Amino acid sequence: MSAATAASVAAEPLLKARALSKRFGGVLAVDSLDLELHSGETLGVIGPNGAGKSTLIGLLSGAIRPSAGEVYVSGQRVTGLPRHRIARLGIGRTHQIPRPFARLGVLENLLLGRFYGAREGAREARRDCLAILERTGLGDFADVPAGDLTLLRLKRLELARALALEPRLLLLDEIGAGLIESELLELIELIKELRAEVESILVVEHVIDVIRECSDRVLVLDWGKKLIEGDPDQVLRDDKVTAVYLGTGTRARLAPETGTAAVEESPPLLQARSVAAQYGHFRALHDVTLEVRPGEVVTLLGANGAGKTTTARVLSGMLPASAGEVRFEGERIDGRKPHEIVRLGIAHCMEGRRIFTDLTVEENLELGGRTAPSAERRERLARVYELFDVLQEKRGDSGGSLSGGQQQMLAIGRALMAAPSLIIFDEISLGLAPVAVEALYEKIAELHRQGVAMLLIEQNVERGLALAGRAYVLEKGRIALSGRPDELRSDPRLRALYVGEAKGDT
Amino acid sequence: MAPSASLGGALLIGAALLAGLLPLFSSDYVVLVSFRILEYAALAQAWNLLAGYGGLVSLGSAAFIGIGMYGMSKLVIDAGLPVIPAILVGGGCAAVFAAIVSPALFRLRGLYFVIGTLVLAQALQIWVFNWNHFGLNGSAGLFLTNTAPTPRQLYYMGLVVAAAATALLAAVLRTRLGLALRSIRDDEDTAQQMGLWPFRTKLWAFVISGFVMGAVGGLQADYLGKIEPGGAFSLNWTVDIVTIAIIGGTGTVIGPLVGSVFVIWLGEKLSNHPETHIAITGAILILVIRFAPYGIWGSVARLVDGLDRARIRGRDG
Repeated sequence: MSAATAASVAAEPLLKARALSKRFGGVLAVDSLDLELHSGETLGVIGPNGAGKSTLIGLLSGAIRPSAGEVYVSGQRVTGLPRHRIARLGIGRTHQIPRPFARLGVLENLLLGRFYGAREGAREARRDCLAILERTGLGDFADVPAGDLTLLRLKRLELARALALEPRLLLLDEIGAGLIESELLELIELIKELRAEVESILVVEHVIDVIRECSDRVLVLDWGKKLIEGDPDQVLRDDKVTAVYLGTGTRARLAPETGTAAVEESPPLLQARSVAAQYGHFRALHDVTLEVRPGEVVTLLGANGAGKTTTARVLSGMLPASAGEVRFEGERIDGRKPHEIVRLGIAHCMEGRRIFTDLTVEENLELGGRTAPSAERRERLARVYELFDVLQEKRGDSGGSLSGGQQQMLAIGRALMAAPSLIIFDEISLGLAPVAVEALYEKIAELHRQGVAMLLIEQNVERGLALAGRAYVLEKGRIALSGRPDELRSDPRLRALYVGEAKGDT
Repeated sequence: MAPSASLGGALLIGAALLAGLLPLFSSDYVVLVSFRILEYAALAQAWNLLAGYGGLVSLGSAAFIGIGMYGMSKLVIDAGLPVIPAILVGGGCAAVFAAIVSPALFRLRGLYFVIGTLVLAQALQIWVFNWNHFGLNGSAGLFLTNTAPTPRQLYYMGLVVAAAATALLAAVLRTRLGLALRSIRDDEDTAQQMGLWPFRTKLWAFVISGFVMGAVGGLQADYLGKIEPGGAFSLNWTVDIVTIAIIGGTGTVIGPLVGSVFVIWLGEKLSNHPETHIAITGAILILVIRFAPYGIWGSVARLVDGLDRARIRGRDG
């Protein structure tokens, strides 16, 4: 940007929010917040789950109408303007939970913003959108229906679509979640590049490296209020921030001495032998052999696209195995329907939470225990509420009104309602504040002590290894490595898979 | 181009040729049945634009058809307008009506919109039944004063309307309006956050679809020679259109045409057993929704494209 524009806007911030508040029912999600964002500036916003970060993005983009307060763009009051008018002022946003136009092609998803947001002709629009797709790593997917993309690619599509608007102000809502180190580095580079093109950026992110590397200023939200604001390094060192957000950095660690020998002697609870699986004609799994013994925690590691989620889907019956066999308590279960497998005792906490947003918290949980007699169901409900007290507080609220971390707890609670002897956790810490991840893993350790076996899929290697008695590493649809955590930690091949992984861990 | 699109194009050309020549070698009966097929093809196409591409599931079709019938009839009877301009202006009346009710209807979303359109059409019917002013003549209806058209004249007018409706749909899909409409179907709020004003897009779709339905109404009035509110605003129109579009395949250009041929042909085959006819159509509808949710043409297209992808993969390695 030219020095002249920078100087002229120094007086008038690009974005200004005054006494902005949003009330959902009885909860103040954002509480009289003041905010200024000047041209050329990148603001990082962090805070615990439920602090109001996504609500703030919704308010600034006009998707959510404030209960009180105003938003100004370049001095113009935009509160109360229709949302499309706000978008045309040059405000592009991403959604934390992707909202693609599922039946449109990836390119078409972008074209809409180009036609109606940036007001551009057809030929130029097509060319520019293809360039944006290249840049965001979606170049090969231009004609694929957006609904067929994986979660991580959908997140890229969110960013690409926001860029298609040619925004002056870019609001990014957790686009770094679930990325491995090398992808994160790419993302950081991309945001740094964008800083030169877009006037201002607001980044909501739990991946602290992104905040530290990209932002000029950091704002910490807690309960909808500004906790602290200032220079990134100072803010991230602040004691208050450590207390409400970053956590102490301790990890729930399960002593493998909980009878490793006994575990190894007992017959496997779950056993997969040479399993292969494919989506249409694309072979996602080639040869996966693994087992989980009763009461054991096993972690499944691997880069994005290695087949972790596919493995989970095959084990829970959501995707048929094209070869090999899966046994549970000695009985063949491949070919069984998902609802039959749940009844046998395998619960699956899917990636992306997948709760029923229109049902209440309690209804969500009830659905998880549908097949149990009602007395038994009440007992299980009580146990879930004991484990996650926040769910009991919000039992009558709709699932969609929960914060990300609470939704994740609800998803776990729902899985527990089936009283499983094995739970498959697929990326349950995705999109959670560090302090919430810590709390979640404490709960998982507690579940383990109650004797529930687990298969843990986790992007964060250390987090997975700390908890597990045994680990498998997937690479391109095959088990590349397996063993005890201490053996794997020293294996150079694991490090090669996750370049400099420890850095991503806060 | 996807192979299903090539197949669809070939099918369209073949059908157009056959349709153009059909009256030369067919009986009046066949020509009149084909006229009905063409009418329903145009109606289903108009509904397809709304529901299949825009996600605006309307159960108000009868309102637009009825307005087209009354508009055309009044113009012929009172203004002495020739049939073809009267049909077009009748379509225009329905389009204007669509524009007038849009601000209220588009406040409703999802199921509420569906119910809103249904209520609108039913209310209009009751109103016309009981209204004797403006020469609408209440439940007695109107008699057309022009010379009755021959089956072949009707047929060719129907062919033009059906072809125009199909061409209009295909053209809309190539423009920004088509893209906007499909994005609203997938996620209206997100579309608005990308700078699109959903109201305008929905209004256009509603007006275009209303015009086509009104024009078919005018055509139908010319065929009947006498109109009355019970038939003009009959719920049967609405139900038949939905049935045809779903059985043929919504969200495709060919589907409604296939559906119309299939359903009307079936109706003729079973015309001596009206109860059986309804039961069988109902059963087919259930089977299609259960086993071929994309309709007849949607399923064929998926099959063809799937086979083609498999062939390409096989060739590549």
